[in-house]
Amino acid sequence: MLTPDLVNEEDIDKLIIPDDLPDEPAFKAYIEAKVYDKEGHIIDYRRQPMRSLTQYFLALMSIPLIGTYSGGSSNSPTGLLANVLGLSAVSNTAWSADIVWTWSIQVGSGTQAFSPTLTGLAAPILNGSQAGQLVYSTTAVSNTGSSVFVLGAVSNNTSSAISVTEIGLTCTVYIQYWPSSGYTTSSYNFLLSYDTFSTAISIPASGMATFQIVISFTG
Amino acid sequence: MMVGKDVSDISVKVPEDAHDTGKYIPTFSAYLTAIVRDSTGRVIRVHRQRSHSPTANFMGLFLPLNWYVSTGQAFRITNVTGGTYNYQPSLDGTIPGTIPGISYPNNKTIYPNYLVMIQVGSGTQSNPYNAYSLASPIANGSGAGQLVYGTPSVSNTVTVSGSSAYFVIEQTFSNQTSSTIDITEVGIITHLYFVAAGNQSPTDFGNTLVWYDTLSSAISVPAGGYLTIAYTFTVNP
Repeated sequence: MLTPDLVNEEDIDKLIIPDDLPDEPAFKAYIEAKVYDKEGHIIDYRRQPMRSLTQYFLALMSIPLIGTYSGGSSNSPTGLLANVLGLSAVSNTAWSADIVWTWSIQVGSGTQAFSPTLTGLAAPILNGSQAGQLVYSTTAVSNTGSSVFVLGAVSNNTSSAISVTEIGLTCTVYIQYWPSSGYTTSSYNFLLSYDTFSTAISIPASGMATFQIVISFTG
Repeated sequence: MMVGKDVSDISVKVPEDAHDTGKYIPTFSAYLTAIVRDSTGRVIRVHRQRSHSPTANFMGLFLPLNWYVSTGQAFRITNVTGGTYNYQPSLDGTIPGTIPGISYPNNKTIYPNYLVMIQVGSGTQSNPYNAYSLASPIANGSGAGQLVYGTPSVSNTVTVSGSSAYFVIEQTFSNQTSSTIDITEVGIITHLYFVAAGNQSPTDFGNTLVWYDTLSSAISVPAGGYLTIAYTFTVNP
């Protein structure tokens, strides 16, 4: 049996050899926005650090780290999946189940204080061509080594400029299974990151904008 | 709409918070802490360092379906014995499914993806991203050069404190030999099953290295001593 720690936190700090935490961070992320007018000319360009990942990002990245099962002989999900994402075991499948997920970029016109438990944007801009809406293109994802590039585009098909003040990376988790009556998915939506722009981004009428979120695990 | 070339547009506004790459504020941090105790349980060393290295296996499993749809490619996953699997999940849409994803807990089958262990070793390798096994893993046991592996544990939930949040993976090892054992590398090993929904034929892919670090200095576990390694994954540290 191990004895409890026999030293306090201050003593542990003195024992730490080496402490390389001041070194170059092992993770970097930034957000890039480009705005184009109706003729396709770029009229605004932003790049800023991504500052705000949520607890749902941690829970999602736990899947490749520790798997989905709480143990080798268990049929229950890990505590992180159950307690953070609210997922439970599929209870009515006739055979096996699997889990997959997609990512999307969402923009909004509000602002709010960040919390790791945030579940959505303050004022998400809806997909559409009505007043105040933007048409979202499919989010594309590419990667190079330990870096992931998430690219989304929106078009303003209205007759007025639309201001974007917030951006989020969202995730939809799908659990696929077969409850004897055919293919079924259960889907769950989560906010992986939330950031606000230092100044609003204005997308002119008939203009468009691209938003790229870059996540790099490499220092 | 046609998009003009960026280089021809000179009226580009660059905000003050567009930093150089090296000045980014980290929003995610992973570090490992190793606590060494002697045979009496007294802490004799604490080692802490940044964890730098998800492996290619981790990246392939972490990428969303968008990547697989955008590229139309599979991502090659390699297990610790060098076996490979071309992972290419999908929203299958058919029963029985034909496109395997990561197995998920259910009432019918147990094809478990689960944390096997934090593994320690006595070697090093220069390209952690491409690593699929430790260079020189230390076996579980009480023979010469071996360590007795405890059971790994994982936080049951994410701990939130202000704008920060984290979870921890931890495992303890004991040196039941009569000699000191040096640790120079650490990795996280997860057992993988791939299966299509509604399909009875899973692929038991076995143990897979998903995270790997070489230590900035070797850690010596004395005879009769213990080593506890904790990986902490934090957002907004």
